[in-house]
Amino acid sequence: MADLVHLDRATARRILGGDEAAFRELFDRFFPRLYRFALARLNRDQELARDVVQQTFCNAIERLDSYRGEAALYTWFCQICRNVIADHYRRRQRGSERVVLLEDQPNVRAILEALAAPTDDEPDTGVWRQQVHRVVEATLDALPGRYGEVLEWKYLDGESVNEIARRLELGPKAAESLLTRARVAFRAAISELAGASDELTGALGRSPG
Amino acid sequence: MEQDSNDRKNGPDLVASLIRAAGRRIEPPADAYQQVLTAATAAFREKSAQRRGRMWVLIAAAASVAAVALLVVQWNGTSTESQVATIARVIGSVEIETDGEWEPMTGARGSLGTGARLRTLAGGNVALDLDGGASLRLAAATEVQMDGPRQILLRSGRLYLDNRASVGTGYRIETPAGTARDVGTQFELRVADGILRLRVREGRVEIDRAGQLLSGSAGEQLEFDALGGVTRSMIAPTDAEWQWTEAVASAPDIEGQPATVLLRWVARETGRQLRYEPAAVETRAAAVILHGNIQHLTPMAALEVMLATTDLEYALSGDTMVIRTRTEP
Repeated sequence: MADLVHLDRATARRILGGDEAAFRELFDRFFPRLYRFALARLNRDQELARDVVQQTFCNAIERLDSYRGEAALYTWFCQICRNVIADHYRRRQRGSERVVLLEDQPNVRAILEALAAPTDDEPDTGVWRQQVHRVVEATLDALPGRYGEVLEWKYLDGESVNEIARRLELGPKAAESLLTRARVAFRAAISELAGASDELTGALGRSPG
Repeated sequence: MEQDSNDRKNGPDLVASLIRAAGRRIEPPADAYQQVLTAATAAFREKSAQRRGRMWVLIAAAASVAAVALLVVQWNGTSTESQVATIARVIGSVEIETDGEWEPMTGARGSLGTGARLRTLAGGNVALDLDGGASLRLAAATEVQMDGPRQILLRSGRLYLDNRASVGTGYRIETPAGTARDVGTQFELRVADGILRLRVREGRVEIDRAGQLLSGSAGEQLEFDALGGVTRSMIAPTDAEWQWTEAVASAPDIEGQPATVLLRWVARETGRQLRYEPAAVETRAAAVILHGNIQHLTPMAALEVMLATTDLEYALSGDTMVIRTRTEP
């Protein structure tokens, strides 16, 4: 984590120094994750999620001088995104319609940055799948570096270690080590979340349909 | 599919099962990506430009013995070492920043020092005579900062630079969306919503966008979007789009000057070539001495007024202004 924050501080410094390539790299890394983060909190309203993420980036860039590296940069962006969402609900005076997420419980929030709210309008199997989807999606988004992508390449695309190594221009041993670290990080995050939330434990402990 | 040793040791693979059960993560729509990228890139460039502006101020502060003079506009009409421009003409609402506050600019002939910031409001225009010899004009709703003798930061809006002297190293205009360098020219630069637009009336202008160099030549319009795309089109030097620059043009003092001074000024301000028909008319024009004041007239109005007192007349033919001796009816 210390290394990650160190890298994040370096990224912030490069961006503040006017390095547009660094900015673009960060944008491509964070945009899909923040979009999913916002979408889960805005009743799946895609246009609103887009506008909120746009405001999040603008606010974050404006305040980037104040980033001190106390947390990962993505966590810092998520906090800004939360504030933008809160502002949105305040403006609309729709506090009662606000989506409350598991992750917004202090204990869960301390572990991961994102978890989606359950819904109760689908059959059991659908509910289970939806909950798992949201938990896994949020967990993958919260993993550092390219861990999330590596796990998807491995388990969804069925790519071999050698194929992943070629994608990342790494040696096979380095790719295997990366995959192992990604698995460990994913397992740890899921376990901690399950321990922190009864609701989540229930979702993960059940089998579909 | 491969399975590493951890999978085998731990029995059923929780990681693989969960990821497969969850399926692929939602991908944001491409149009959302483009829109947010455009806005965020604009914010990034604006932030970079602001920081560059602050850096200039710091450098100036380190170099100056009289720190109190920094960032304060030299608004008393006297020249100082850091003076970079003189206010030539003010139309409508124009404001200048002094000690962090925006204050109305009430008249011309004051001087501006390094770090001075000014802005035009709706309907406002201002013309500055830059110390390097060029004329800088701001359209309505524009904000600039004078970063140095030949360096200007265009924060937002639209400016026009006429580097008629064409001497020295040219001017450098920073914007949140790229940097322009003139190569002896007349051009307009506009920055809005992350889009940079360059219109070249005469000469050539180079644009530097994050290390990517492009140039525009006379008659060209280049529009740079936030994603690095460039659209080229044509704009004639006499196009009506240039008229706002003529409205705020600072007229020369023609009292006791030959008519050729007026004619050259009008031709340049209106983007036209000047031709005397026949060529001997130029000698005649040089012998006509003008009297009066055209300070608050547009170039074409000044031409009408002043030529009416002479035996010269003009005709517009395409992008050429033809001067002849008057033919009485």
